[in-house]
Amino acid sequence: MTEVAVKRFLLGFFLIFFGAVFLRVDYFPFSWVPMYGFREEKPFIVVAVGDLKRRDLGFTALRANGEQLFLNRRDLNMPPANFRRLYQERAFGEGPPQHRRERAGLMPLNRWWYETLIGEDPAKTADYQRDLLRSVNATLGLGPGDPRRIVQLEAHLDFATFRQQDLDSGHLINPSIERRVALVTDKGTEIIRTHLSGPLGPQTMERISD
Amino acid sequence: MTDYHPTRGSAIDRFFFDWFTGETLGAVRFYFGLGLVLYLGSQYPQLLTLDAFGPHFRYTLPIWYFDLLGIDTHIPLMPFLVFPVMLIACLFFAFGKWTKPAIIVILITMFWLKGMRDSFSGDVHHREIPVVPLLLLFLVSKCDQVFGIDARRRKLAVIQDWEASWPLRAMQVYIAMFYFWALVAKLRVSGLFWFEHGGRIQQTLIVRSVRDGFAANGDVVNLSLAWKLAQNPDLVFFFGVVVFLFELFIPLILFVKDWRLRLVMLIGATSFHISNYLLMNVQFYFYPIVFVAFFDMVKVHAWLKQRLRLQPRVPAAS
Repeated sequence: MTEVAVKRFLLGFFLIFFGAVFLRVDYFPFSWVPMYGFREEKPFIVVAVGDLKRRDLGFTALRANGEQLFLNRRDLNMPPANFRRLYQERAFGEGPPQHRRERAGLMPLNRWWYETLIGEDPAKTADYQRDLLRSVNATLGLGPGDPRRIVQLEAHLDFATFRQQDLDSGHLINPSIERRVALVTDKGTEIIRTHLSGPLGPQTMERISD
Repeated sequence: MTDYHPTRGSAIDRFFFDWFTGETLGAVRFYFGLGLVLYLGSQYPQLLTLDAFGPHFRYTLPIWYFDLLGIDTHIPLMPFLVFPVMLIACLFFAFGKWTKPAIIVILITMFWLKGMRDSFSGDVHHREIPVVPLLLLFLVSKCDQVFGIDARRRKLAVIQDWEASWPLRAMQVYIAMFYFWALVAKLRVSGLFWFEHGGRIQQTLIVRSVRDGFAANGDVVNLSLAWKLAQNPDLVFFFGVVVFLFELFIPLILFVKDWRLRLVMLIGATSFHISNYLLMNVQFYFYPIVFVAFFDMVKVHAWLKQRLRLQPRVPAAS
Protein backbone atom coordinates (compact mmCIF):
# COMPACT_ATOMS: atom_id res chain seq x y z
CA MET A 1 0.00 0.00 0.00
CA THR A 2 1.14 3.54 -0.67
CA GLU A 3 0.98 6.18 2.05
CA VAL A 4 -2.15 7.61 0.45
CA ALA A 5 -3.81 4.19 0.39
CA VAL A 6 -2.85 3.66 4.03
CA LYS A 7 -4.45 6.94 5.00
CA ARG A 8 -7.65 5.98 3.18
CA PHE A 9 -7.62 2.61 4.90
CA LEU A 10 -7.13 4.18 8.33
CA LEU A 11 -9.96 6.62 7.69
CA GLY A 12 -12.28 3.72 6.89
CA PHE A 13 -10.97 1.64 9.79
CA PHE A 14 -11.58 4.32 12.41
CA LEU A 15 -14.86 5.41 10.83
CA ILE A 16 -16.17 1.87 11.25
CA PHE A 17 -14.83 1.08 14.72
CA PHE A 18 -15.34 4.53 16.24
CA GLY A 19 -18.57 5.06 14.29
CA ALA A 20 -19.90 2.04 16.19
CA VAL A 21 -19.15 3.93 19.41
CA PHE A 22 -21.14 6.93 18.21
CA LEU A 23 -24.05 4.73 17.13
CA ARG A 24 -23.89 2.71 20.36
CA VAL A 25 -23.45 -0.58 18.57
CA ASP A 26 -22.71 -3.47 20.91
CA TYR A 27 -22.55 -6.40 18.55
CA PHE A 28 -19.21 -8.21 18.57
CA PRO A 29 -16.67 -7.17 17.29
CA PHE A 30 -18.10 -3.64 17.46
CA SER A 31 -18.72 -1.97 20.77
CA TRP A 32 -19.30 1.38 22.42
CA VAL A 33 -17.45 -0.15 25.43
CA PRO A 34 -20.31 -0.01 27.94
CA MET A 35 -19.31 -3.00 30.12
CA TYR A 36 -20.15 -1.82 33.64
CA GLY A 37 -21.15 1.68 32.56
CA PHE A 38 -24.87 1.53 33.35
CA ARG A 39 -26.10 2.55 36.81
CA GLU A 40 -29.81 3.06 37.32
CA GLU A 41 -30.84 6.04 39.44
CA LYS A 42 -32.71 4.41 42.30
CA PRO A 43 -32.56 4.97 46.07
CA PHE A 44 -31.85 1.26 46.57
CA ILE A 45 -30.34 -1.76 44.83
CA VAL A 46 -31.68 -5.31 44.74
CA VAL A 47 -29.01 -8.00 44.73
CA ALA A 48 -29.35 -11.77 44.25
CA VAL A 49 -27.74 -13.67 47.12
CA GLY A 50 -26.77 -17.08 45.80
CA ASP A 51 -26.49 -20.44 47.47
CA LEU A 52 -23.75 -22.54 45.92
CA LYS A 53 -25.00 -25.84 47.37
CA ARG A 54 -28.54 -25.26 46.25
CA ARG A 55 -27.44 -24.14 42.80
CA ASP A 56 -25.22 -27.18 42.48
CA LEU A 57 -28.28 -29.38 43.07
CA GLY A 58 -29.90 -27.58 40.17
CA PHE A 59 -33.45 -26.78 39.17
CA THR A 60 -36.19 -28.82 40.78
CA ALA A 61 -37.92 -30.13 37.68
CA LEU A 62 -41.28 -31.71 37.11
CA ARG A 63 -41.99 -34.04 34.20
CA ALA A 64 -45.37 -34.22 32.42
CA ASN A 65 -45.83 -37.69 33.92
CA GLY A 66 -45.52 -36.23 37.44
CA GLU A 67 -41.96 -37.43 38.14
CA GLN A 68 -39.77 -34.97 40.09
CA LEU A 69 -36.02 -34.64 39.61
CA PHE A 70 -33.12 -32.23 39.90
CA LEU A 71 -31.54 -30.83 36.75
CA ASN A 72 -28.05 -29.52 37.27
CA ARG A 73 -25.35 -28.18 34.96
CA ARG A 74 -23.93 -31.67 34.39
CA ASP A 75 -27.29 -32.94 33.20
CA LEU A 76 -27.42 -30.05 30.75
CA ASN A 77 -23.67 -30.28 29.98
CA MET A 78 -22.94 -26.59 30.38
CA PRO A 79 -20.23 -24.49 32.11
CA PRO A 80 -20.89 -23.41 35.74
CA ALA A 81 -20.94 -19.66 35.05
CA ASN A 82 -23.54 -20.06 32.31
CA PHE A 83 -25.66 -22.30 34.53
CA ARG A 84 -25.47 -19.69 37.30
CA ARG A 85 -26.89 -17.10 34.90
CA LEU A 86 -29.75 -19.37 33.91
CA TYR A 87 -30.54 -20.34 37.50
CA GLN A 88 -30.12 -16.95 39.18
CA GLU A 89 -31.03 -14.55 36.39
CA ARG A 90 -33.06 -15.96 33.49
CA ALA A 91 -35.33 -18.07 35.73
CA PHE A 92 -36.22 -14.87 37.59
CA GLY A 93 -36.80 -12.91 34.37
CA GLU A 94 -33.50 -11.04 34.29
CA GLY A 95 -31.85 -10.76 30.87
CA PRO A 96 -28.19 -10.37 29.99
CA PRO A 97 -26.58 -6.94 30.64
CA GLN A 98 -26.63 -6.12 26.90
CA HIS A 99 -30.42 -6.25 26.93
CA ARG A 100 -30.73 -4.25 30.13
CA ARG A 101 -28.69 -1.29 28.87
CA GLU A 102 -29.25 -1.45 25.11
CA ARG A 103 -32.01 1.17 24.93
CA ALA A 104 -31.10 3.19 28.03
CA GLY A 105 -30.68 6.92 27.33
CA LEU A 106 -30.52 6.60 23.53
CA MET A 107 -30.35 9.79 21.49
CA PRO A 108 -33.03 10.07 18.75
CA LEU A 109 -30.81 8.92 15.86
CA ASN A 110 -29.69 5.82 17.72
CA ARG A 111 -33.21 5.07 18.95
CA TRP A 112 -34.39 5.31 15.34
CA TRP A 113 -31.85 2.86 13.94
CA TYR A 114 -32.30 0.41 16.82
CA GLU A 115 -36.08 0.40 16.42
CA THR A 116 -35.86 0.24 12.62
CA LEU A 117 -33.13 -2.35 12.16
CA ILE A 118 -33.18 -4.38 15.39
CA GLY A 119 -36.81 -4.09 16.43
CA GLU A 120 -38.39 -3.91 19.84
CA ASP A 121 -36.47 -3.58 23.09
CA PRO A 122 -35.45 -7.15 24.06
CA ALA A 123 -35.49 -6.21 27.75
CA LYS A 124 -39.25 -5.64 27.41
CA THR A 125 -40.24 -8.27 24.87
CA ALA A 126 -38.01 -11.30 25.57
CA ASP A 127 -39.45 -14.19 27.56
CA TYR A 128 -36.31 -15.55 29.19
CA GLN A 129 -38.15 -18.12 31.30
CA ARG A 130 -39.96 -19.67 28.34
CA ASP A 131 -36.67 -19.76 26.38
CA LEU A 132 -35.07 -21.54 29.33
CA LEU A 133 -37.75 -24.23 29.51
CA ARG A 134 -37.68 -24.71 25.74
CA SER A 135 -33.89 -25.00 25.81
CA VAL A 136 -33.91 -27.59 28.61
CA ASN A 137 -36.42 -29.82 26.78
CA ALA A 138 -34.55 -29.49 23.48
CA THR A 139 -31.25 -30.35 25.18
CA LEU A 140 -32.74 -33.48 26.72
CA GLY A 141 -34.40 -34.40 23.42
CA LEU A 142 -37.93 -34.21 24.84
CA GLY A 143 -40.62 -33.20 22.34
CA PRO A 144 -44.01 -31.64 23.12
CA GLY A 145 -45.81 -34.98 23.18
CA ASP A 146 -43.26 -36.79 25.34
CA PRO A 147 -44.60 -37.72 28.79
CA ARG A 148 -41.07 -37.26 30.16
CA ARG A 149 -40.88 -33.64 28.97
CA ILE A 150 -40.16 -31.03 31.61
CA VAL A 151 -43.27 -28.98 32.36
CA GLN A 152 -41.95 -27.01 35.34
CA LEU A 153 -38.59 -25.70 36.53
CA GLU A 154 -38.21 -24.38 40.04
CA ALA A 155 -35.39 -22.11 41.25
CA HIS A 156 -34.83 -20.70 44.75
CA LEU A 157 -33.00 -17.50 45.50
CA ASP A 158 -32.80 -14.75 48.11
CA PHE A 159 -32.82 -11.10 47.10
CA ALA A 160 -31.34 -8.46 49.37
CA THR A 161 -32.47 -4.84 49.07
CA PHE A 162 -29.81 -2.35 50.16
CA ARG A 163 -31.00 1.20 50.76
CA GLN A 164 -28.81 4.07 49.59
CA GLN A 165 -28.04 5.03 53.22
CA ASP A 166 -26.80 1.45 53.87
CA LEU A 167 -24.56 1.68 50.82
CA ASP A 168 -23.26 5.12 51.80
CA SER A 169 -22.44 4.04 55.34
CA GLY A 170 -21.02 0.65 54.32
CA HIS A 171 -23.37 -1.20 56.73
CA LEU A 172 -24.35 -4.01 54.43
CA ILE A 173 -25.29 -6.72 56.88
CA ASN A 174 -28.94 -5.78 57.52
CA PRO A 175 -30.65 -5.38 54.16
CA SER A 176 -34.27 -6.30 53.64
CA ILE A 177 -34.30 -9.91 52.42
CA GLU A 178 -36.93 -11.58 50.28
CA ARG A 179 -36.90 -15.25 49.30
CA ARG A 180 -38.21 -15.87 45.82
CA VAL A 181 -39.17 -19.15 44.24
CA ALA A 182 -39.52 -19.08 40.47
CA LEU A 183 -41.92 -21.63 39.02
CA VAL A 184 -41.27 -21.66 35.28
CA THR A 185 -43.93 -23.45 33.22
CA ASP A 186 -44.92 -23.32 29.56
CA LYS A 187 -48.00 -21.34 30.58
CA GLY A 188 -45.95 -18.63 32.27
CA THR A 189 -43.86 -18.01 35.35
CA GLU A 190 -44.99 -17.51 38.91
CA ILE A 191 -42.70 -15.91 41.48
CA ILE A 192 -43.55 -16.77 45.10
CA ARG A 193 -42.16 -14.21 47.53
CA THR A 194 -41.55 -14.52 51.26
CA HIS A 195 -40.09 -11.78 53.42
CA LEU A 196 -37.27 -12.95 55.69
CA SER A 197 -36.00 -11.30 58.84
CA GLY A 198 -32.53 -11.37 60.31
CA PRO A 199 -29.08 -10.35 59.12
CA LEU A 200 -27.52 -11.36 55.84
CA GLY A 201 -25.28 -14.39 56.31
CA PRO A 202 -25.00 -18.15 56.53
CA GLN A 203 -28.21 -18.52 58.59
CA THR A 204 -30.21 -17.20 55.68
CA MET A 205 -28.35 -19.53 53.37
CA GLU A 206 -28.98 -22.56 55.56
CA ARG A 207 -32.69 -21.90 55.37
CA ILE A 208 -32.40 -21.89 51.61
CA SER A 209 -30.46 -25.13 51.60
CA ASP A 210 -32.99 -26.88 53.81
CA MET B 1 12.44 5.41 16.97
CA THR B 2 12.78 7.20 13.69
CA ASP B 3 13.44 10.87 13.49
CA TYR B 4 11.13 13.51 12.14
CA HIS B 5 10.73 13.06 8.39
CA PRO B 6 11.37 16.44 6.73
CA THR B 7 9.16 15.71 3.71
CA ARG B 8 6.02 15.10 5.81
CA GLY B 9 4.29 18.37 6.45
CA SER B 10 1.12 17.14 8.09
CA ALA B 11 0.99 16.34 11.81
CA ILE B 12 -1.26 13.35 11.06
CA ASP B 13 1.34 11.92 8.68
CA ARG B 14 4.07 12.35 11.24
CA PHE B 15 1.84 10.81 13.90
CA PHE B 16 1.23 7.64 11.93
CA PHE B 17 4.38 7.25 9.82
CA ASP B 18 7.32 8.52 11.87
CA TRP B 19 7.41 6.50 15.04
CA PHE B 20 8.96 3.03 14.79
CA THR B 21 11.65 1.26 12.77
CA GLY B 22 10.84 -1.47 10.24
CA GLU B 23 11.68 -4.44 12.42
CA THR B 24 9.56 -3.29 15.34
CA LEU B 25 6.33 -4.44 13.68
CA GLY B 26 7.65 -8.02 13.53
CA ALA B 27 8.88 -7.91 17.12
CA VAL B 28 5.51 -6.62 18.32
CA ARG B 29 3.81 -9.39 16.32
CA PHE B 30 6.06 -11.96 18.02
CA TYR B 31 5.26 -10.83 21.59
CA PHE B 32 1.61 -10.11 20.85
CA GLY B 33 1.26 -13.60 19.37
CA LEU B 34 2.80 -15.21 22.45
CA GLY B 35 0.55 -13.08 24.62
CA LEU B 36 -2.47 -14.20 22.62
CA VAL B 37 -1.71 -17.80 23.55
CA LEU B 38 -2.10 -16.80 27.19
CA TYR B 39 -4.97 -14.37 26.70
CA LEU B 40 -7.17 -16.43 24.41
CA GLY B 41 -6.02 -19.62 26.13
CA SER B 42 -7.51 -18.29 29.38
CA GLN B 43 -10.90 -17.45 27.85
CA TYR B 44 -12.37 -20.82 26.88
CA PRO B 45 -11.13 -23.63 29.17
CA GLN B 46 -14.60 -23.89 30.75
CA LEU B 47 -15.79 -25.37 27.45
CA LEU B 48 -13.21 -28.13 27.89
CA THR B 49 -14.68 -29.17 31.25
CA LEU B 50 -17.84 -30.43 29.54
CA ASP B 51 -18.50 -34.01 28.52
CA ALA B 52 -17.39 -34.13 24.87
CA PHE B 53 -19.96 -36.82 24.13
CA GLY B 54 -22.66 -35.58 26.52
CA PRO B 55 -25.93 -33.76 25.76
CA HIS B 56 -25.93 -31.02 23.13
CA PHE B 57 -27.20 -27.92 24.92
CA ARG B 58 -29.73 -25.84 23.01
CA TYR B 59 -28.53 -22.23 23.33
CA THR B 60 -30.95 -19.91 25.09
CA LEU B 61 -29.69 -16.74 23.34
CA PRO B 62 -27.29 -17.45 20.45
CA ILE B 63 -24.84 -14.65 19.58
CA TRP B 64 -25.91 -12.66 16.50
CA TYR B 65 -23.73 -14.46 13.97
CA PHE B 66 -24.72 -17.89 15.27
CA ASP B 67 -28.31 -16.75 14.93
CA LEU B 68 -27.60 -15.67 11.36
CA LEU B 69 -25.90 -18.98 10.53
CA GLY B 70 -28.61 -21.04 12.23
CA ILE B 71 -26.26 -22.43 14.89
CA ASP B 72 -28.48 -23.01 17.91
CA THR B 73 -26.93 -26.05 19.60
CA HIS B 74 -23.65 -26.62 21.40
CA ILE B 75 -21.69 -29.57 20.08
CA PRO B 76 -19.45 -30.26 23.09
CA LEU B 77 -16.78 -32.05 21.06
CA MET B 78 -16.07 -28.96 18.94
CA PRO B 79 -14.08 -26.92 21.52
CA PHE B 80 -11.69 -29.86 21.92
CA LEU B 81 -10.89 -29.53 18.22
CA VAL B 82 -11.14 -25.77 17.73
CA PHE B 83 -9.28 -24.63 20.86
CA PRO B 84 -5.92 -26.32 20.05
CA VAL B 85 -6.14 -25.11 16.45
CA MET B 86 -6.53 -21.54 17.75
CA LEU B 87 -3.52 -21.83 20.05
CA ILE B 88 -1.35 -23.37 17.31
CA ALA B 89 -2.41 -20.58 14.93
CA CYS B 90 -1.34 -18.04 17.59
CA LEU B 91 2.10 -19.66 17.67
CA PHE B 92 2.39 -19.66 13.87
CA PHE B 93 1.43 -15.98 13.92
CA ALA B 94 3.97 -15.22 16.66
CA PHE B 95 6.83 -17.00 14.93
CA GLY B 96 6.02 -15.58 11.52
CA LYS B 97 5.26 -18.84 9.74
CA TRP B 98 2.27 -18.61 7.35
CA THR B 99 1.50 -15.45 9.26
CA LYS B 100 -1.50 -14.11 7.32
CA PRO B 101 -3.34 -17.46 7.07
CA ALA B 102 -2.65 -17.89 10.80
CA ILE B 103 -4.37 -14.55 11.51
CA ILE B 104 -7.44 -15.67 9.58
CA VAL B 105 -7.49 -18.97 11.48
CA ILE B 106 -7.21 -17.13 14.83
CA LEU B 107 -10.11 -14.87 13.90
CA ILE B 108 -12.36 -17.72 12.76
CA THR B 109 -11.62 -19.95 15.76
CA MET B 110 -11.98 -17.03 18.19
CA PHE B 111 -15.37 -16.07 16.76
CA TRP B 112 -16.38 -19.72 16.97
CA LEU B 113 -15.24 -20.30 20.57
CA LYS B 114 -16.64 -16.98 21.72
CA GLY B 115 -19.95 -17.79 20.08
CA MET B 116 -20.06 -21.13 21.87
CA ARG B 117 -19.18 -19.68 25.26
CA ASP B 118 -21.54 -16.70 25.09
CA SER B 119 -24.59 -18.37 23.52
CA PHE B 120 -25.40 -20.67 26.46
CA SER B 121 -26.94 -17.85 28.44
CA GLY B 122 -26.63 -14.83 26.14
CA ASP B 123 -24.10 -12.77 28.10
CA VAL B 124 -21.80 -11.47 25.38
CA HIS B 125 -18.43 -10.66 26.93
CA HIS B 126 -16.24 -7.84 25.65
CA ARG B 127 -12.91 -9.58 26.18
CA GLU B 128 -12.19 -10.41 22.55
CA ILE B 129 -13.30 -7.08 21.10
CA PRO B 130 -9.92 -5.27 21.04
CA VAL B 131 -8.17 -8.35 19.67
CA VAL B 132 -10.17 -8.26 16.43
CA PRO B 133 -9.14 -4.78 15.16
CA LEU B 134 -5.54 -5.39 16.21
CA LEU B 135 -5.43 -8.63 14.22
CA LEU B 136 -7.05 -6.88 11.26
CA LEU B 137 -4.29 -4.27 11.36
CA PHE B 138 -1.67 -7.02 11.43
CA LEU B 139 -3.46 -8.68 8.51
CA VAL B 140 -3.25 -5.65 6.23
CA SER B 141 0.27 -4.73 7.33
CA LYS B 142 3.60 -6.21 6.26
CA CYS B 143 4.07 -7.91 9.62
CA ASP B 144 4.79 -11.20 7.86
CA GLN B 145 7.88 -9.80 6.17
CA VAL B 146 9.98 -9.16 9.29
CA PHE B 147 11.17 -10.92 12.40
CA GLY B 148 9.86 -14.36 11.56
CA ILE B 149 10.60 -17.76 10.07
CA ASP B 150 9.22 -16.97 6.62
CA ALA B 151 11.06 -13.65 6.46
CA ARG B 152 14.36 -15.32 7.39
CA ARG B 153 13.95 -18.23 4.96
CA ARG B 154 12.96 -16.03 2.07
CA LYS B 155 15.65 -13.50 3.02
CA LEU B 156 13.21 -10.61 2.65
CA ALA B 157 14.47 -7.05 2.91
CA VAL B 158 13.44 -5.21 6.06
CA ILE B 159 10.34 -3.15 5.41
CA GLN B 160 10.43 0.63 5.46
CA ASP B 161 9.94 2.42 8.74
CA TRP B 162 6.65 4.06 7.77
CA GLU B 163 5.26 0.66 6.76
CA ALA B 164 5.91 -0.65 10.26
CA SER B 165 4.89 2.52 11.99
CA TRP B 166 1.31 3.10 10.85
CA PRO B 167 -0.21 -0.23 11.94
CA LEU B 168 1.38 0.07 15.37
CA ARG B 169 0.23 3.66 15.76
CA ALA B 170 -3.29 2.66 14.69
CA MET B 171 -3.23 -0.09 17.31
CA GLN B 172 -2.14 2.41 19.94
CA VAL B 173 -4.99 4.74 19.02
CA TYR B 174 -7.52 1.90 19.24
CA ILE B 175 -6.19 0.65 22.59
CA ALA B 176 -6.00 4.07 24.25
CA MET B 177 -9.40 5.10 22.94
CA PHE B 178 -10.96 1.83 24.14
CA TYR B 179 -10.42 3.05 27.71
CA PHE B 180 -11.55 6.55 26.85
CA TRP B 181 -14.75 5.27 25.23
CA ALA B 182 -15.43 3.29 28.42
CA LEU B 183 -15.51 6.59 30.31
CA VAL B 184 -17.68 8.18 27.63
CA ALA B 185 -20.08 5.21 27.90
CA LYS B 186 -20.42 5.70 31.66
CA LEU B 187 -21.17 9.38 31.22
CA ARG B 188 -23.60 8.73 28.34
CA VAL B 189 -25.89 6.35 30.22
CA SER B 190 -25.29 7.18 33.89
CA GLY B 191 -23.61 10.58 34.05
CA LEU B 192 -21.56 11.43 37.11
CA PHE B 193 -24.06 9.39 39.14
CA TRP B 194 -21.92 6.40 38.12
CA PHE B 195 -19.23 7.68 40.48
CA GLU B 196 -21.38 9.11 43.31
CA HIS B 197 -20.64 7.68 46.76
CA GLY B 198 -19.51 4.08 46.18
CA GLY B 199 -21.04 4.33 42.72
CA ARG B 200 -21.43 1.50 40.31
CA ILE B 201 -18.16 -0.02 41.54
CA GLN B 202 -19.65 -0.65 45.00
CA GLN B 203 -22.75 -2.20 43.42
CA THR B 204 -20.65 -4.53 41.30
CA LEU B 205 -18.52 -5.50 44.29
CA ILE B 206 -21.68 -6.45 46.23
CA VAL B 207 -23.33 -8.28 43.33
CA ARG B 208 -20.20 -10.29 42.56
CA SER B 209 -19.27 -11.13 46.15
CA VAL B 210 -22.69 -12.42 47.28
CA ARG B 211 -23.69 -14.27 44.13
CA ASP B 212 -22.35 -17.57 45.50
CA GLY B 213 -23.70 -16.89 49.02
CA PHE B 214 -22.18 -17.08 52.48
CA ALA B 215 -20.06 -19.75 54.18
CA ALA B 216 -20.67 -21.09 57.68
CA ASN B 217 -18.05 -18.70 59.10
CA GLY B 218 -20.17 -15.72 58.03
CA ASP B 219 -17.91 -14.69 55.19
CA VAL B 220 -18.92 -14.79 51.55
CA VAL B 221 -18.02 -18.00 49.71
CA ASN B 222 -16.03 -16.24 47.00
CA LEU B 223 -14.48 -12.79 46.51
CA SER B 224 -14.30 -11.93 50.21
CA LEU B 225 -11.96 -9.02 49.43
CA ALA B 226 -14.70 -7.49 47.29
CA TRP B 227 -17.23 -7.87 50.12
CA LYS B 228 -14.87 -6.14 52.56
CA LEU B 229 -14.08 -3.36 50.12
CA ALA B 230 -17.78 -2.79 49.39
CA GLN B 231 -18.20 -1.92 53.08
CA ASN B 232 -15.74 0.93 52.68
CA PRO B 233 -17.50 3.30 50.26
CA ASP B 234 -14.97 6.11 50.71
CA LEU B 235 -12.16 3.88 49.51
CA VAL B 236 -14.36 2.66 46.64
CA PHE B 237 -15.07 6.29 45.70
CA PHE B 238 -11.32 6.95 45.64
CA PHE B 239 -10.82 4.02 43.26
CA GLY B 240 -13.66 5.40 41.12
CA VAL B 241 -11.84 8.74 40.86
CA VAL B 242 -8.64 6.94 39.86
CA VAL B 243 -10.54 5.04 37.15
CA PHE B 244 -12.09 8.32 35.94
CA LEU B 245 -8.71 10.03 35.68
CA PHE B 246 -7.03 7.02 34.06
CA GLU B 247 -9.71 6.68 31.38
CA LEU B 248 -9.86 10.43 30.78
CA PHE B 249 -6.16 11.03 30.31
CA ILE B 250 -4.93 7.81 28.73
CA PRO B 251 -5.19 9.18 25.14
CA LEU B 252 -2.34 11.57 26.05
CA ILE B 253 -0.01 8.58 26.03
CA LEU B 254 -0.24 8.64 22.22
CA PHE B 255 1.93 11.74 22.22
CA VAL B 256 4.50 10.56 24.77
CA LYS B 257 7.75 9.16 23.42
CA ASP B 258 9.48 8.53 26.74
CA TRP B 259 9.34 4.76 27.35
CA ARG B 260 9.41 5.28 31.13
CA LEU B 261 6.13 7.18 31.06
CA ARG B 262 4.68 4.45 28.86
CA LEU B 263 5.87 1.91 31.38
CA VAL B 264 4.00 3.81 34.11
CA MET B 265 0.87 3.59 31.93
CA LEU B 266 1.42 -0.15 31.47
CA ILE B 267 1.81 -0.65 35.23
CA GLY B 268 -1.36 1.39 35.82
CA ALA B 269 -3.37 -0.60 33.28
CA THR B 270 -2.03 -3.92 34.55
CA SER B 271 -2.90 -3.03 38.15
CA PHE B 272 -6.39 -2.03 36.99
CA HIS B 273 -7.05 -5.31 35.20
CA ILE B 274 -5.56 -7.54 37.89
CA SER B 275 -7.55 -5.70 40.59
CA ASN B 276 -10.71 -6.18 38.54
CA TYR B 277 -9.98 -9.88 38.38
CA LEU B 278 -9.16 -10.32 42.07
CA LEU B 279 -12.10 -8.20 43.24
CA MET B 280 -14.79 -8.94 40.67
CA ASN B 281 -13.60 -11.94 38.66
CA VAL B 282 -13.47 -9.83 35.50
CA GLN B 283 -11.28 -11.99 33.30
CA PHE B 284 -9.25 -9.34 31.51
CA TYR B 285 -6.07 -10.11 33.47
CA PHE B 286 -3.91 -10.99 30.45
CA TYR B 287 -5.29 -8.04 28.47
CA PRO B 288 -2.20 -5.84 29.09
CA ILE B 289 -0.40 -7.92 26.45
CA VAL B 290 -1.90 -5.52 23.90
CA PHE B 291 0.41 -2.84 25.28
CA VAL B 292 3.38 -4.36 23.44
CA ALA B 293 2.21 -2.08 20.62
CA PHE B 294 3.38 0.89 22.69
CA PHE B 295 7.00 -0.20 23.00
CA ASP B 296 9.96 -0.66 20.71
CA MET B 297 9.94 -4.42 21.10
CA VAL B 298 13.17 -4.84 19.10
CA LYS B 299 15.00 -3.13 21.96
CA VAL B 300 13.00 -5.08 24.54
CA HIS B 301 13.84 -8.31 22.70
CA ALA B 302 17.56 -7.49 22.61
CA TRP B 303 17.47 -6.58 26.31
CA LEU B 304 15.65 -9.81 27.18
CA LYS B 305 18.09 -11.92 25.17
CA GLN B 306 20.97 -10.29 26.96
CA ARG B 307 19.30 -10.88 30.34
CA LEU B 308 18.71 -14.51 29.45
CA ARG B 309 22.35 -14.77 28.29
CA LEU B 310 21.28 -15.78 24.80
CA GLN B 311 23.46 -13.09 23.35
CA PRO B 312 27.02 -12.29 24.48
CA ARG B 313 27.45 -9.00 26.25
CA VAL B 314 29.03 -6.33 24.13
CA PRO B 315 32.35 -5.49 25.81
CA ALA B 316 32.57 -1.93 27.03
CA ALA B 317 34.88 0.30 25.03
CA SER B 318 38.11 0.89 26.85
